[in-house]
Amino acid sequence: MAVFTEPALPPTVSLSPRSATSDPPWIRVCLVGAVVVFLGVLFVLPLVLIFQEALRKGWAAYLGAFADEEMHHAIGLTLQVAAIAVPLNTVFGLAAAWLVARFRFTGSRWLAALIELPLWVSPVITGMSFVLLFGSQGLLGDWLAGHGVKVIFALPGLVLGTLFVTFPFVARVLTPQMQALGRAGEEAALTLGAGPWRVFWSVTLPKVKWSLTHGIILCSARAMGEFGAVSVLSGHIRGATNTLPLHIEVLYNEYQFVPAFAAASLLALLAVFTLILKNLTATAAAGANPS
Amino acid sequence: MSIHIENITKRFGRFTALDSVSLHIRTGELVALLGPSGSGKTTLLRLIAGLELPDGARGRVQFHDRDVTLAGARERRAGFVFQHYALFNHMTVAENIAFGLRARPRALRPSRAAIDAVVQRLLVTIQMPDFGHRLPGQLSGGQRQRVALARALAVEPEVLLLDEPFGALDARVRRDLRRWLREFHDSTRLTTLFVTHDQEEAFELADRVVVFNDGAIQQAGTPAELRASPASAFVADFLGLPACAV
Repeated sequence: MAVFTEPALPPTVSLSPRSATSDPPWIRVCLVGAVVVFLGVLFVLPLVLIFQEALRKGWAAYLGAFADEEMHHAIGLTLQVAAIAVPLNTVFGLAAAWLVARFRFTGSRWLAALIELPLWVSPVITGMSFVLLFGSQGLLGDWLAGHGVKVIFALPGLVLGTLFVTFPFVARVLTPQMQALGRAGEEAALTLGAGPWRVFWSVTLPKVKWSLTHGIILCSARAMGEFGAVSVLSGHIRGATNTLPLHIEVLYNEYQFVPAFAAASLLALLAVFTLILKNLTATAAAGANPS
Repeated sequence: MSIHIENITKRFGRFTALDSVSLHIRTGELVALLGPSGSGKTTLLRLIAGLELPDGARGRVQFHDRDVTLAGARERRAGFVFQHYALFNHMTVAENIAFGLRARPRALRPSRAAIDAVVQRLLVTIQMPDFGHRLPGQLSGGQRQRVALARALAVEPEVLLLDEPFGALDARVRRDLRRWLREFHDSTRLTTLFVTHDQEEAFELADRVVVFNDGAIQQAGTPAELRASPASAFVADFLGLPACAV
């Protein structure tokens, strides 16, 4: 027998199932339908087809594609470029976001716009302008050659192109968050006698760590997938300057469809993995800084 | 520690927050900076803390006999309590309170045990002895405000500056905290300035009230003086006194 008497639940009085401010159902159905069809055709279907093509001749052929020397080199080079470009852009991105969020100076608006420049400049143009600057016929070509430094058609060129293209990602994620969080925490640390490094490491960085992680993930994904700028700067030297996206193009043009799609599936997996990580860090960022 | 302010002007863009303000605060005073929002009271508090620097060359800020006009917040070491507490949300209450002591250069930093002792003593002072391991997110508004006070007091400042310290709290917590601050000030005689827009709060708590409007000091005096002879129609109106008393 029950010892505690539960209070009777109040009768449900809600008669209309939708809230006062929501749109009529048919609008919601149409919008959801349009988005699902759009995403399905543009994103999901291509992704499925990549794996279908890669596995067309079975798992053995799929895995066999990765046993290739040039494929190894392309994967290694892609990771190497990302390993150099991402840490550098993390530091640059932090510095840029800090400048834009914390200081109002003449030209700060222009600086903020300039940070986003790589997003709307065609990567091919980036590549070509770097060739004009660093190439053997370029502005700095003689000086570089005199010092025995090869930039274009070599690793430094690939890194430079990737740096430029992936520059905005960390700064763009961090700037609005730094602006929103304000600077009261930093000011409190200052009045307590903390120096600039201490303020940065123990107040600013912990506040933005999840957005920073978020930005680094986006930056890494873009760095490994970059095609346009890197394509111009690499010179397509097989087994030497071909990154994974460039190698995919080479394989595809040579009608080696299984290896081409196998390599493409790696980048596709990277994208899916990024999407999951991005959502996890976005949730964590929202949880860490409840307003 | 006495504070001497002379001819301070501060503009933000085209807005003049403070217009040639002078004020002298005696050692051990508890002073309220009272005025409507945008009247310049918070700007003056931030200028005293070194979070803002005055415009022009005529302004002067002096702590006792030390000229600190151009010193930054870090050198001034004024205890500052922010309107929305500005606690470090990723640190525990104890870590928040210890922050200022741990941030000292190695030669001046107390030992770990000494820091722990200071933290424990302050936790008792703010009547939260068992809250050291909590995170700020787990505290109520009044508790956060007290932790912010303890954090500011840990570095033994010679002046305590509070920006709207009771603004975001409900009536009962506000009354308790007011009483606590009055008792704390009576026992320590730490020079204290607080910003408020609530004249009742200013009159109840402060030895002296400084009334601001439009970036200028309208009147400064003890609550009794202000009540007896408001200097202008604005002061009388803002204090809720009958205008005919002017």
